[in-house]
Parts: sequence; C-alpha cells; structure tokens
Amino acid sequence: MENIILETKELTKYYDQFLALDHLNLQLYKGEIFGFIGPNGAGKSTTIRTIMHLISKNSGQVFFKGKEFLADDLSSKAKIGYLPSEIHLYEDLKIKDMLDYHESFFKKDIHSRRIQLTQRLKLDETRKIEELSLGNLKKLGIILALMHEPELLILDEPTSGLDPIMQQTFYEILQEEKKKGTTIFYSTHILNEVSRLCDRVGIIKDGKLLKIETIEDIRHKNLKYVSITSPEIEKIIKDFQIRDKAKRNTIRFKNELSASQLISKLSSYSIDDLLIEEASIEDIFLHYYTEEKHHV
Amino acid sequence: MFKREVKVNFKNYLIWQCLLFAIFLIVFMIYPSIISSDNFKQIDEMMKIFPQEVLAAFNMDISSINNAYGWLKTEGMTFILLITGCYSGILGSQILLKEENDKTIEYLYSLPVKRSNILIQKFTAGAIYVTLLTVMTALFNLLALMIMQKLNIQEYLMLSLSPLLTSYVIYCLCFMFAVFAHRSKRMTGISLAVVMISYVLQIISTIAESADFLKYFSIFTLADTRNIITEQAINPVMVIITIMIALFCLLTALFYYQKKELV
Repeated sequence: MENIILETKELTKYYDQFLALDHLNLQLYKGEIFGFIGPNGAGKSTTIRTIMHLISKNSGQVFFKGKEFLADDLSSKAKIGYLPSEIHLYEDLKIKDMLDYHESFFKKDIHSRRIQLTQRLKLDETRKIEELSLGNLKKLGIILALMHEPELLILDEPTSGLDPIMQQTFYEILQEEKKKGTTIFYSTHILNEVSRLCDRVGIIKDGKLLKIETIEDIRHKNLKYVSITSPEIEKIIKDFQIRDKAKRNTIRFKNELSASQLISKLSSYSIDDLLIEEASIEDIFLHYYTEEKHHV
Repeated sequence: MFKREVKVNFKNYLIWQCLLFAIFLIVFMIYPSIISSDNFKQIDEMMKIFPQEVLAAFNMDISSINNAYGWLKTEGMTFILLITGCYSGILGSQILLKEENDKTIEYLYSLPVKRSNILIQKFTAGAIYVTLLTVMTALFNLLALMIMQKLNIQEYLMLSLSPLLTSYVIYCLCFMFAVFAHRSKRMTGISLAVVMISYVLQIISTIAESADFLKYFSIFTLADTRNIITEQAINPVMVIITIMIALFCLLTALFYYQKKELV
C-alpha cells in the first residue's frame, strides 16, 4: 500500500467573500513528483500557503505522514522544504551567513549537504544577497529548501529565473531526490515541465480541483486536434459548433469524430489545408482549463 | 534568531545613543560658561516671572538650574524622556513589522520555529536595547556630573532610571499595536503620536489644575520625576503599573500573533 505523505481534506479558504479554495482534497504519495497546474488566480499559491500555515484556512485539514499538520508542529516542519515563487531573504547578509543562519534551525548536521548543493548549483558563498540576480537568488532558495534533506518538497514556480543549464541541473537534482524517496509537490505554469518530470498531475481552476491523472494516462488519451484552412471557415465553425475563433481562415480544434466521419463532413466544403495531429500534453491540459463542466 | 535581532538593531541603537551622548556632552561642556555669564542672571529673573504652574511642569519650582545637575533634573529629564520614548516607540513598532515589510517573514514562518518563539526573541532583543539606551545615558551623565560637581547619588540613580518605566510601556504598547498592523510606515507615525500626545497631556495636567486628571492618560506620569526629587523615592505603584501594562501588552501580542495572516 502506498504511503500518503501529504493529504488535504476539504481544504477551504475565503478571502473576504471570495472563495479561493473550494473543499480541496489531495493526496500525495511517498516518492512521487506531483504536478500542480492551473491558470493565474486558480488557487495554486493559496493551496501551498495554506498547507504551509502562512495563511489560515477557513475549514478542512492538512495531514503530513498521517498526522494532522498544525502550525506549531516543528518536527513535521523540519521535514518539509519550501521554495516560494518569490524569494525574499535578508539582504544585509552574505550567502554564507544566510546558509549558516538556516542551518542553525535544524538539529541534524546538514553542512555537507549544503556544500554539495552550493557546488552543484555553482553559488559563490562570499557574495552578498543584495547583489544577487533573480536566478542566483532562486538557486539560493533551492539550496535552502533542499539542504535539510526534507521528506516533502513544496516548490512554487521553482525554475523561473533559472537559465536552461541550471534548469537541467535542477531537474536532475529533483530526480535524485525522488530516487531517495522524497515526495515533491511541484506547482508550475510551465506545462512541458509537468509532462517531463511529474508522475501525476492535479489541475486546479477557480479554487476547485478539476482532475488528478497520471501523466501516462494523459499521454494515452488519444485526443486529436484538427487544423483546417478554408475560405468557408466561418461556416465550418458554425456547423461544427467550434467555440474557438479563426485566425486568417484557419481554425484548430479538438476532434472527437473518427477520421472517416471527419472527412465525410468536410467534403462539402472547399478546404485549402487539413492537418490531423495527436494532442500534445499542453493541448490536453488546456482542454481541461477551458472545459465548462468538470468532474474529479 | 535572537543574535541576528541584536545585530540588526545595533546600528539604530548606536545612532540614538550617540544623539543622547552628544546632547549632554555639549550641555555639560558649555553649562559652566552659561552660569557664569551675565545672561544667566537675566534668565534667573525671567524665571521668577513665570507662573508657578508652568515652572512646575518642568520641575523648575523644586530644582534650581544654577548647576548642571539642576538643569538635568528639569529640562534634561524632558530630553531623556522624549528621546528614549521616541526610540522605544519606533523600535517596538518596527522590530516585528520590518520582516513583514521586507517579506522575509514568509521564509521565517517556513522554518521549524514557533511563532511565539519568533515574537519572544524579537521582543527580548528590543527590550535589551531599550534598557541599554537609558542605562548607558545614565552612566554617561553620572560620569560627567561627578567630574563637574557633587551630587546626591541615590536621587540621581532613581531619576536617571525612571525613564525605563516610560520606555518599557511605550515599547510594549507599540509592539502590541504592531501585531495588528501590516505596514511599518503607519506604525512609526502612531508610535511618535503616542509619545507626543502623552507628553502634551503631562504638561497640560501640570499647568492646569482642572486638567489634573489628564496625568492618568499620560505614560510620562510613570516616570514620576517630581516625586523622586521631593520624596527621594520611586513610587512602587508606578513600577507595578509598568509591569502590569508590559505583561498585558506582551500576552495580547503573543495571543494575536499566532493568528496573524500574511498579506
């Protein structure tokens, strides 16, 4: 039986009258990378901040390793690493001092892990934090999140600001963490990161969890997209009841008809170009974002 | 965390301390020449014209300003009370809020440390500097006065440590208010307003007999400098009130800080 590392039950959060999280139920298993995606304002950061007790919840519960995770549960907090989307650290300190300060909060010896990570991410400890670029600040944030070898990593937009080489290094580090049994909660806008790294993905929209699926299942969805270029494009849009708008006589839409049905239906129109292709992972995610009725 | 708080607030403390040192150094250096000048006799004559109530507001009815210690007991104490009060108010309001304004509080909350621990360590670091400012000023002035003249040491010590009572209350009050605030600029204004309003109420309550009740709304009543000069004793009630207010503010801050939302 898989171990549930993190669980939320009916997690609800209001900002005044605005419902930011609507009875969110999530389960993360040991050793998996769980992708968490959604459009801007969907509730991704609110979910993370509520789990981390940075903001209070209105109702619901959060469990870490089967035990309710409360704000002052220090032993659980010591096993969680958190990387926020925007990192703000003490600008009067050097990187070395910041890492020393961070180490002082943990009882176990994490110095060797710190050295390993600073060398791997090529961070010069003698530099002052106020001088760091966004990318270097992000690297420091990654080190702070990973340094104490947490059992659960919560990452909010972790690769923003990183150059492609550092992104690759970061992905390798995450894969190594996963092999060690670390569970990773990975919140991002970047859909190809999710398809590349994650085992499962949860899609959130307007505070509601729309779907949780494995990446494998998503890949096997067998969705097809059709691109048609035609001078009669407006008529095609009307007859096929396509919601999207045409761009310069070309429309791209999700096709649920078989190939022969599609060709038969299109035969009555004047077609300049026709392309039938497998949906990319990004197409599938966007399909969930834009659907009106959803089931979890 | 405590060590970091002490380090971060040291520069600010030093600036305020140097300000107080500078003021008293200049006064003590030039005071002998002021007393021996002809102008001083004119000042003395002018003081006799002032209403008794106005003189009482600055303790000038019970202490002569014909020496530096006499000046300290009157105008000097006003400087000390106001400056230590302003420092305590600003420190109390900033020591928690700065992390929120710099947004480093999110990092701190993610660490395995209780919010109550964060609050107590910051509070303690600030309280140390509030104490240090008054004590170091007292020591500095004691040294200077002992060089210049003879003085009643017991009276001096009580007088120079009495600002601790007002400073602690101002610090604790502003610290508590900061728990409910999210922006430090506004809190700085509120802290200074607390100090100035208290001072004005204290003056008015001394000048106008009908307004005597206003002293119960002024934090500076706790310093009770008049009583120290006339009775050579600190009223223990003032100490008890100080402790009670400080405890109330700290416990209230502790309670509400646990529930404070990040904005």
